[in-house]
Amino acid sequence: MDGSADRYDRRAFLARGASGAAALGLAGVGVPALLAGCSSTPSSTGRTQTHGVSTGTPKRGGTVTMGLNSEIDGFLPTASHWDNSGLTYANTIFDTLTVVAADGSAKPYLAQSVTPNTDMTQWTITLRPGVKFHDGSPLNADVLLANIQALQTSALTGQALRGVVSSASKVSDLAVAVSCVEPIVAFPYYLSTQVGYVIAMAQLESQSSTQPIGTGPFSLVSWVPNDHMTVQRNPHYWRAGLPYLDGVTYKPISQDQSRENSLRSRTIDLMVTRDPGAIRDLANAAGYQQVRNPSVGQGDMDFIVLNTSVEPTNDPLVREALARAIDVGELVRLFGAGIAKPNLSLFPPGSPYRPADNGYPTYDLTKAKQLVAQAAPNHGGTISVALATITDPRLVNEIQAIASMWGLAGIQTTVSQVEQVTFIDNLVTGKFQAYTSEQFGAADPDLNYVWMSPTTANGPIALNFSRNKDDALETALQAGRTTSDPTARAQAYQEVDKHLSRDMPYLWASLATWSVTGSDSVVNFNNMTLPDGSRALGFANGVFNPTPMWREA
Amino acid sequence: MLRFAANRLFQLVVICFLISIFAFLLVHLLPGDPTLAILGPNDTPAARAVLLHQLGLNKGLLSQYGTWITNIFHGNLGASFLTKQTVTNALGVAVPIDLELIVVSQVLALIFAIPMALVAALRPNKAFDKVATTSTFGMLSLPTFVAGPLLVLVFAVTFKWVPATGFNRLSQGLGPNLKSVILPSVALAIGSITVYYRLLRADLIATLQEDYVTMARSKGLSTRYILLRHVMRPSSFSLLAGAGISIGTLFTGAFVVEVLFQLPGIGYQLVQAIYSRDYLVVQGMALVAAVAFVVVNFAVDFLLTVLDPRVRRA
Repeated sequence: MDGSADRYDRRAFLARGASGAAALGLAGVGVPALLAGCSSTPSSTGRTQTHGVSTGTPKRGGTVTMGLNSEIDGFLPTASHWDNSGLTYANTIFDTLTVVAADGSAKPYLAQSVTPNTDMTQWTITLRPGVKFHDGSPLNADVLLANIQALQTSALTGQALRGVVSSASKVSDLAVAVSCVEPIVAFPYYLSTQVGYVIAMAQLESQSSTQPIGTGPFSLVSWVPNDHMTVQRNPHYWRAGLPYLDGVTYKPISQDQSRENSLRSRTIDLMVTRDPGAIRDLANAAGYQQVRNPSVGQGDMDFIVLNTSVEPTNDPLVREALARAIDVGELVRLFGAGIAKPNLSLFPPGSPYRPADNGYPTYDLTKAKQLVAQAAPNHGGTISVALATITDPRLVNEIQAIASMWGLAGIQTTVSQVEQVTFIDNLVTGKFQAYTSEQFGAADPDLNYVWMSPTTANGPIALNFSRNKDDALETALQAGRTTSDPTARAQAYQEVDKHLSRDMPYLWASLATWSVTGSDSVVNFNNMTLPDGSRALGFANGVFNPTPMWREA
Repeated sequence: MLRFAANRLFQLVVICFLISIFAFLLVHLLPGDPTLAILGPNDTPAARAVLLHQLGLNKGLLSQYGTWITNIFHGNLGASFLTKQTVTNALGVAVPIDLELIVVSQVLALIFAIPMALVAALRPNKAFDKVATTSTFGMLSLPTFVAGPLLVLVFAVTFKWVPATGFNRLSQGLGPNLKSVILPSVALAIGSITVYYRLLRADLIATLQEDYVTMARSKGLSTRYILLRHVMRPSSFSLLAGAGISIGTLFTGAFVVEVLFQLPGIGYQLVQAIYSRDYLVVQGMALVAAVAFVVVNFAVDFLLTVLDPRVRRA
């Protein structure tokens, strides 16, 4: 049953946080499509309006209620497992050192500047002066240093930082120097993720996950898990004039249909969803504005992750047979609600990192049958695969369809649902053959290093869930990580995509579709600006920031 | 009467004790390891050893039970490893929701079921009886996961009279509070109306055929007087027993409705906790729900003995 739906999104676990970036939604082979950033509709004046953006004069006051798809487990960046809802909560209470701008670059936010040395092995973070936490304490280098050290020693975030940060030291009252283990070109992007949120010294010392103290636009009023989280305006917010609202209430509503009903009944003002049916229904409904995943960066991908360290998925022939037996087009037609589009690559169409042809095996049932016949003798005469997903009715239907496709190729498939916590545990401990997954949403491809590097594929606990150990892949990942030349980076990540297509640890399906839909009374909810006046990326992969919005009525 | 009450009270204590053992063992009987759920990817032998020590899971079962039950008597049911919220606080959120759902849904059910049963029993197999029996039979086959969304579609989405999800506490005003519970209560009441109607109707028809009713009629007493004074009380035993079971079950059985309407009642939170192996929450919630079930049925038993002293001697 659901309800479960979503502990950690209940789909996203250590996810975006642990990696410091990459999103690990454990949803599934779904739908999606990296859709154009914002929808546009003609207004009554005939002028085209961009959804979620207002050119009107901001109105102060009022409150907004927003429905999210999951509940979080706390407000401590070093210990809490933040999925898209967790990061939305975090954007409300805290600030990140950098924010991804609409052009895809990482720009200083709580930091005034983030500057590298010549070889990018050391980055100096200089904080904005005069910023205070909700408890009135100042943001300074001591606090930042303590935050970084806590992140390094945390069992959760330490794994992600191990390959990035070696040490940190105070440079001045407002500056901290971070030494990296190697040149980390994408370092500023890391500071826009879970490891980039700065909490007050008092919270660091108390290690409280229920009493957050941040510098963010709102401060906590009450949090009742599974019911609501209410915040009030921070009157001393460092960004003068912001936020406009007096308060925001978030309600975790695990069922997509219940969330949609709540929006339509005006029980809530805004909702986040990744359900293509709900996205389609609300897209053309009058009185609503809808914003979908932006076309900048890399969206979450829906795919099946194969364990390359266990029988029979350790056999490349079996993996290719599985890939060739899936008719992704049909799958998307069945479950995509007209919203989704197939995507057989790590990167979306239009990405500079996507090669013209990555060589990923396309649907070919005859070839799949041949591969099964070829591989079967090495696996006791038959190919049997256990395919599982979380307890989500939509995903269960999808894996049943996939099992049926595999069956046509002669692959025996057992289908099962696994509750979320066990699902995650099985992924990290390697106790699976084929699991649905939703992952890899990132503003910079290096943020996904931890999930696919052979260096994290060893041992009983591995963040490279597929346990794919390809030295050539590591070489390409390293090239992308340490090279600042855009052309060289593009070539490196194109190589990454090609290696993944050859190794097939992931059976690609489609790009995950996320959307935020609001009633017309709530405006400007996707028009976050940065201190330098440029526009922020805004809503992406289910993560929302309430700072720029206001209520019209 | 006092002896009967003392006897039942003793039974209640014994049952609650057994329930506490079962609730305690429940988590240990579940597949999987709670420490794995807590540690996740940080599940190293060293970390696990520390956690086992912290949670007291490295001790014997008897010792663990002793600590757990002692803490309960001190009002400490533990805390969620996930949200750090104490189980007592979680119950503070859940219990008012369940209590209100139960009260409103059962009042609604009785308001509809009793008059319908009275009218139907007075004229069995006539038009009203046939219509009522058929329609309640139809309602019985309407599960809450169908009734709930239909109610939401009509009254929340279309007319926008009530919220589709969420719970407004009484402190937010009686109007908002009632608006937030009316749909889930109706969804729950639909099943109860059917059961109560059929139980009461059958008993009423049987009682109306008793000799003393015929005697009362022959004495010229009004039908209304006979029904209310002589027939209702002896016909309400099955109804009461049914209500006892129904109310007790709703403490956790309202789960489906709670998910549909996003109400964090006991059932909803219990299932969430099971999914995340939040074992202290599972233990606490299961214990409270089971004890509530037993206490409600104890109260109903007691009420039955008041209505019919023969029950005491049975």
